[in-house]
Amino acid sequence: MKKNRERSPRVSLLAKNKIREALWGYLFISPNFLIVLIFTILPVFFSSYMSMTDWNILSKPNFIGLENYQHILQDEVARETFFNTFYFSVLSVPVSLILSLLFAVFLNQKIKGIAFFRTAYYIPCISASVAVSLMFMWLLANNGLINQMLTSFGLGPVKWLTDPKIALNSVIGITIWKGLGVNIVIFLAALQDIPPELVEAASIDGANRVQQFFKVTLPLLSPVIFFVTITGVINSFQSFDLVYNMTKGGPGHATTLIGYYIWKQAFDYLHMGYGAALANLVFFAIFILTIIQWILRKRWVYSEE
Amino acid sequence: MSSVDRSQRSNSTLKTLNRVFVYTILIVSSLMMLIPFAWSVITSLKSNENVFTHSAFWLQFPPDFSAYKEIWNRIPLLKYTANTLKVAVIVTFGQLFTSSLAGFAFAKMKFPGRDKLFVIYLATMMVPGVVLLIPNFVIMRTIGAIDTHWALILSAVGSVYGTFLMRQFFLSFPSELEDAAKLDGCNPFMFYWHVLLPNAKPILTTQGLMAFQFIWNDFQWPLIVLNSESKRTLQLGLSYLMSEYYTDWTLLMAASVLTLLPIIILFFIAQKNFIQSFKLSGLKG
Repeated sequence: MKKNRERSPRVSLLAKNKIREALWGYLFISPNFLIVLIFTILPVFFSSYMSMTDWNILSKPNFIGLENYQHILQDEVARETFFNTFYFSVLSVPVSLILSLLFAVFLNQKIKGIAFFRTAYYIPCISASVAVSLMFMWLLANNGLINQMLTSFGLGPVKWLTDPKIALNSVIGITIWKGLGVNIVIFLAALQDIPPELVEAASIDGANRVQQFFKVTLPLLSPVIFFVTITGVINSFQSFDLVYNMTKGGPGHATTLIGYYIWKQAFDYLHMGYGAALANLVFFAIFILTIIQWILRKRWVYSEE
Repeated sequence: MSSVDRSQRSNSTLKTLNRVFVYTILIVSSLMMLIPFAWSVITSLKSNENVFTHSAFWLQFPPDFSAYKEIWNRIPLLKYTANTLKVAVIVTFGQLFTSSLAGFAFAKMKFPGRDKLFVIYLATMMVPGVVLLIPNFVIMRTIGAIDTHWALILSAVGSVYGTFLMRQFFLSFPSELEDAAKLDGCNPFMFYWHVLLPNAKPILTTQGLMAFQFIWNDFQWPLIVLNSESKRTLQLGLSYLMSEYYTDWTLLMAASVLTLLPIIILFFIAQKNFIQSFKLSGLKG
């Protein structure tokens, strides 16, 4: 009896502390959570609703069900856009991956002037895409540096950004140039995480450099390679700045990528509903890719430090 | 003996060859990274008429700075810089504040639903920005934020990714300090403000630089929500300058150099933090 009487105020004090801590917790989370709720979580649902309307800002939205999605199937420009985006991913992601892995492996050796090389690779990553667009438009112009160099070798001026067969490749090249540094950092960090004993053991077993790389290093890097691939694909689905500033999707639709086409539909033609439907399609594709990545990552058990 | 000698020698020639190969590739590729910038600077220092009359390899000496003077007559560069700086500073500090608070709560405090909420947070990280453009435009229109800097600030002062980073950092923070602070009668906010924040400087700097650089370089969202010339950010201003003075390359290169310079200077001051932020982007997926 006596004991119980002693404990109860203590218990209620504990409970009070718990409630107080919980209240502080909610208070701390709320500013950030409100922003995330309003500008990230709710918009996902809102976007799904909008994709089922014919809203064009000027008049009231009507619910039209899946009509926008059906329209995508008949939209020939959309088809061209999907193809361009696919081509963009298939070319830019592997090339960027191989180049950045190569440079990371080189930088991982004991090399003089490493600070210079690293800085050179990183500067394009921190540069704004508008300035980068301008720099390359001048570099690739008819009388720009690259064409003048080509002409001095007797090769004609190439219409880097205005020939429909070449323009998309130029955009891909510039995208790779700009994004290389981030991938190099990620690969370099992963390479430095590989225990040197493993590589040494392979070399004692008689493996040469190339064998060491393909039999030991590369398998250990596979989760990172996969991560870089998926992020690269996701980024190519959202590519906008370079296309907007350098080509406006042209010539024709040669450089119209899905990220640009969504903007064009929604904010140039004011087809908000149709734009939302296209964006949801992209979201769906990214969702699938992310799920695949999560499943495979669990299987690889890759530590994140 | 001689065969060993020969194999050693061939080994060392191989090594030298390998070195030469590695250096060649590194030098050529890093030049390819830097030449576009160098070319822009060189062009910006030429007189306009010389760009077209001389070959690309011709260098003007002494350099002509008139393009850098001319920009100020063509666009309100100071106004654009002030706009960008204002938004970037508010977003950086706002984001650091909200995400460090939330990160601390997720890492160290106990309350019902905490872990479920955190899973929701993680799930939102895979929502691509392109899906948010249209609904967020509508939200900004509804609250009357279109063509104001609020549209750039509001959606950016909270960050899921920032919260995630802060939580990771605070998880490794010793709990004894927190207990000691509690005994001293510190409430959680005082603990956060006086103990946690001063000890979180490295991660705050890294995340702050990421946020600042993102806002400084951001183009698509300002393009969508801003209309008036007086509201433009630097990137928007540069893009409009290009559409108005197409082929005036000395002017355009000078403007590009000016907009790039602040971030490049920041990069050289805080290179380690920038590289750390690249590394952290590897955690995002």
